[in-house]
Amino acid sequence: MHANLTPMIDVTFLLIVFFVLVSQLVETEHVELDLPVLLRPATEPPGEAPRAVVSIVPGPDGEAAAYRLGGEPFRADESGRRALEAAIAERLRGNPSLRLNLRADRNARYDRVRPVLESIGRAARRVPGAAPRVHLVLVPEDTT
Amino acid sequence: MSRAGVEPSPARGLPPGTPPDRPRRRRRRPAGDIGLNLTSMIDVVFLLLVYFMAATEFRSGEEVYKLDLPERSGAAASDPFELDDEPLRIEVRSRGPVADELSLAGAGITVPGPYPQPMDFRELRTLLEELLVGGARGLFPRDHPVVIDPVGTTRWQHALAAFNAAASAGYENVTFGGRG
Repeated sequence: MHANLTPMIDVTFLLIVFFVLVSQLVETEHVELDLPVLLRPATEPPGEAPRAVVSIVPGPDGEAAAYRLGGEPFRADESGRRALEAAIAERLRGNPSLRLNLRADRNARYDRVRPVLESIGRAARRVPGAAPRVHLVLVPEDTT
Repeated sequence: MSRAGVEPSPARGLPPGTPPDRPRRRRRRPAGDIGLNLTSMIDVVFLLLVYFMAATEFRSGEEVYKLDLPERSGAAASDPFELDDEPLRIEVRSRGPVADELSLAGAGITVPGPYPQPMDFRELRTLLEELLVGGARGLFPRDHPVVIDPVGTTRWQHALAAFNAAASAGYENVTFGGRG
C-alpha cells in the first residue's frame, strides 16, 4: 500500500505559503512590544471597524525608538512626527471616522506617548469633518 | 496493514446469517489490497487545519479603551450658556520602570482637593466612585471631565491604570492631558 504523495506535497506547500504570508502580514502591523496589562479593566473588544494601528516602537528605558503607522515606519523626532501627522491625515481623508489603535509599551514614558496623541489630534484638525476615535490597546488580565 | 490482518472471508461486512451472494467479486480481489486512500483524508484534515488557523484571532486577548483626543478644540459642540466644568485633574507619577506585568506598585497619585490621597489605583477608583453623584461624597455627575495628568516620566502602564480607575468608576469623559 502506498499513498499518492503528490497531492499531499501540494497541500503541504500550500500550508507553508499560507503561514509565511500570514506571519508577514501580522508582523508588519504588529510591533513587538509589551502592552500594558490591567486587572479586570473596563475595556471592550476591538471589533471589526476600519482601523489604523499606530505603534510606538520601544527603545531603552521607556524611550521611543520609532513610530509605525500600520507597516510604515517614522522616525521618533519632530520631523517624523510631522510625517506621521501627514500620513494619519491622509488616511482620515479616506475615512473620516477611522479608528486609531494606539499601541505603546507598558514601560514607555508618558512624554514619549503624548506627542503621538498630539500628532493624532493635529491630524484630525487638519481634515475637516474628521472624527477619529483613538483607542488605547492593552491586555486585560482576568485572574481573580 | 499486514497481509495477515486482511484475510478474506466470504461473509465479511454482511450481517450474520446472510448467504454470500456475490462470492466471485470478492475472491477476485487479491488479498492485502484493501487500503483506504489516505491522500483525500489528509487533504481534508489539512484544509480543516487551515480553516481553523485562519478563523483564529491572531491578536489574542487585546482590548481597547476609547479615548477622546486630548484638548480637542470642539468649537461646534460647545454651548455658550453651559458653564465650563473645571476638570478633575489626577496627577500620576512613576518611581521607576514597571518591573513585572501586573505590578502597579511604584506609582504616586495625587487628586486635588481635601480628600485622603489614594495610595494605589484601587483606592483611586474607590475615591472616584465616592465622588460621583450618588456616592458617599457625591460631587460630580458622570459626564464630569476627568483629566489624567501623568508627569513626563510616568510609565504608560501607570497612566493607563489611572485611566482605567476613572473609567471603571463610571466616568464617561476621561482624557489624557498633562505636561508630558
